[in-house]
Amino acid sequence: MSDVQSFLFDGVSIPCTGRETIAAALERAGIRVIGTGQGDCTGRYFCGIGACQACLVAVDGARMEACLTPARGGLQVKRILPVSP
Amino acid sequence: MSSPEVLVIGGGPAGVSAALELARAGIDVTLCEQGPRLGGAIHRQPDDPTQSVRVPRSHKQRWQAMSDELAASTVKVLCRHMFAGIEATGAVLLEDRIHGRLVTRRPAALVLAMGAIERVAPVPGWHLPGVVTVGGLQVMMKSTGRAPDGDVLIAGSGPLLVALAAQMASLGNAPVAVLERSTRLMSVSVIASLLRAPAYLWEAAGYLLTLARSGILPRRGAFVTAIAPRDGRLSVTTLDRHGRERQMLVDRVALHDGLLPNSNGTMAGQHGPFIVRAGDCREVLGGTAALADGRLAAHAVLAQIGKAVRATKVPAAILARERQAQAALNTLFDYSGRDPAQLPDETIICRCEGRTLGQLRSMLSGDDPVSAREIKLNGRFGMGACQGRFCAEWVASFVASQRADGSPPQASEIVGSRWPVKPVPIAAFVTLPPSHPSE
Amino acid sequence: MAVVGAGIVGMSAAHFLSRAGWQVTVYDAGVVASGATGSADGAVSVASKKPGPLMTLAVAAVKFYEQLVATGILVDEYLPRSTFVVASDHEELAVLERHAGELEAAGVPIRMLKGAALMAVIGAAAPTAIAAAEVQREGHAVGYRVVERLRQLGGFAIRRNCRVSGFESSNGCITGVMTEQGTEPADAVLLATGIGSMHFLAESGLIRPRKGQLIVTDRAGADSPHFPGPLMSCRYLVSKGSQPADSAVASRSLGLVIDPLRTGQFLIGGSREDRDDRETADADVVATLLRDAVALSPSLAQLRIIRVFSGLRAATRDGMPIVGHVGGAENLWIATGFEGDGICLGPMIGRLCQQMICGESPEQDISALDAARFGLTLAAAA
Repeated sequence: MSDVQSFLFDGVSIPCTGRETIAAALERAGIRVIGTGQGDCTGRYFCGIGACQACLVAVDGARMEACLTPARGGLQVKRILPVSP
Repeated sequence: MSSPEVLVIGGGPAGVSAALELARAGIDVTLCEQGPRLGGAIHRQPDDPTQSVRVPRSHKQRWQAMSDELAASTVKVLCRHMFAGIEATGAVLLEDRIHGRLVTRRPAALVLAMGAIERVAPVPGWHLPGVVTVGGLQVMMKSTGRAPDGDVLIAGSGPLLVALAAQMASLGNAPVAVLERSTRLMSVSVIASLLRAPAYLWEAAGYLLTLARSGILPRRGAFVTAIAPRDGRLSVTTLDRHGRERQMLVDRVALHDGLLPNSNGTMAGQHGPFIVRAGDCREVLGGTAALADGRLAAHAVLAQIGKAVRATKVPAAILARERQAQAALNTLFDYSGRDPAQLPDETIICRCEGRTLGQLRSMLSGDDPVSAREIKLNGRFGMGACQGRFCAEWVASFVASQRADGSPPQASEIVGSRWPVKPVPIAAFVTLPPSHPSE
Repeated sequence: MAVVGAGIVGMSAAHFLSRAGWQVTVYDAGVVASGATGSADGAVSVASKKPGPLMTLAVAAVKFYEQLVATGILVDEYLPRSTFVVASDHEELAVLERHAGELEAAGVPIRMLKGAALMAVIGAAAPTAIAAAEVQREGHAVGYRVVERLRQLGGFAIRRNCRVSGFESSNGCITGVMTEQGTEPADAVLLATGIGSMHFLAESGLIRPRKGQLIVTDRAGADSPHFPGPLMSCRYLVSKGSQPADSAVASRSLGLVIDPLRTGQFLIGGSREDRDDRETADADVVATLLRDAVALSPSLAQLRIIRVFSGLRAATRDGMPIVGHVGGAENLWIATGFEGDGICLGPMIGRLCQQMICGESPEQDISALDAARFGLTLAAAA
């Protein structure tokens, strides 16, 4: 496999190839809980087509679906944590 | 004079087919795809071309031919461009993820080919990490070229269950079990219908053979009743057709109870462009039908803008044949999901807002026939980020089942028809240049 | 008692009338809260009112909400908090100081925030603000939730999708309500159908629709700045009520309020447009509101909009609501024309209507709202 890069997920380095999505890279790294999601449910990979909004992460500060967003080296990806009530 | 622009939304078979047919007629076409690559769910391309999932050869050839024609065509392809809706003055809103901006277009016509959404009927625990849709697991597998690791349980109903199971088995990690809710058997008339579209029979036979070699056969009449976290894994309670309960400890559960058109909030407005839906976004009939339907959508657009349409009955005939085959296939499956009467109050119905069945039941408890709008606003069902895509249809049918007043709510009343059809980043929105009053 | 209109005014009136011993039926051509009540911003606020009867009534209406919470009727449905009227330049500061003075004169508790105090309270939410007036002791209530609570408390019947087409009268008295589903007897009628109220009156053009567009974001994250309450741009004061409803040209103005909701979401609004295409929102208005919102509070740029909606306010010719007895029938009352103040005033107006209809003297002076100022009479056809 060519061009192995890495991005940071909550400060942890996650290897990625140039062509995969953030969701695929997190999946390969064994990370299933990818945020607290919206509402009471945990952030996670679910539908894979950008519809369910469950895999939302902050990519360089912008909220994006991990399943639609290409992983690139150097990205700062973070879980979105809810405001404590 | 420049020719009118047509915008096609969705880079799966229906969208690409429509775009190609329009380009063949000399139309200026732009094809928008939300993801980084074309293909849709059915032709999802591998991240690493040397590691791909085995798919039927006819699928592969079909997509290759379309990709080649597209590359040689005048169609402009915009990946990572999401359709956000049609606003009041008729402008089509596109979120350009590459540049982080919102752009507007005023095409003469709009072809919506955004595919299908999977139905997942709620069961306790379906919102937990590790629970995915069957299609979601399949697109992940097609992208990575690897079977998902760990022990995987596949459950629900539909032809996609065995497809995923067989593809996983081919990649070296067969699921621990496939639970197919339906107990319906193939009848002579179903076989007769399917013989007119024999590809389905061949495909199914291939999948079942692969599964049989791995020692896995779908357990018909069995289903999941609850999923709970246990020791970092998922403890799944199942019932078989004889009413026997079983516990399984797995790493993932893939659920699927059929498909619905992904057409939320895409109704034509007063000032908007001419709109045609194509493929599963219009009617869930699968990939072969989507190709024909894309051409039909293109013909409808050409007729609308006054371009000659080459007379052909072929796409309509394909569509009719596929409709018949799908209807026959659907008689073999059971998309009803778990009987709501058997679901406990704590079952999450709206995953986005964490709303439960108990909350829905309490809204319906009195004699007063509360409306769909009240259920949405006060119950917050369909108010979350997925905009009702994974709960509105279920909530509407549940409310209808509790009512005998002859005016059951429609899912569309819960979803609504407003833009944005999906969340739009404010950072992108503020880039929209102010309009000029003279326009 | 027939109440026409299941919005916040009609439902509140139904609540109080049923407790005063009336047998009440609420009729609505749509469903509960399907008009302006269901698409309002929910401000229970004095902050934007101009001095005069409306400001006085708004002060009383806020206290009425507190009373409804104390008596258990609106527990959890009213969120007390301050509103922050923000000035971003010296021109706005002049407007702010004058307005703060007017509010204080009406007895509203105000704290002017500048310098370090400003930074400490709203600095994180609005770093470019140069001053703010903290309007204390007001709050937020979601219109459709208030109405839902009143519905749950019950005591009256609701007839959804039951349009009232007119009234049966005898000797100058309404005796029945005519609907698509037949005529039903009524001893008294309250019209509370917003713009639709005009259908029953002989006058035309008295109430005009004034459209508003609002934006809802997704939830803020844990690292988002703290919002102590809604931020209202000073420019809102300029835009609000600046156009009489009988102006000849369709016009629009934008005021900016960024309202932190209990869910962690933000409500961003809103426009005031003299048009009635209620079902649609346009990207230009939304983009302009969002640009203004981000200019005031840059961290909003990290969020996404998940919903945009619009509603129609019922704007009267003189900008004042209409509450009182209608000529042409002894037992016909009206409460409409609240424009953008329905959620704030609605519950109290419901109570005042009950007092008025029961022949008691209303506990607030609503003479400035009297329907008689327009000489309102029942339409012959109705």
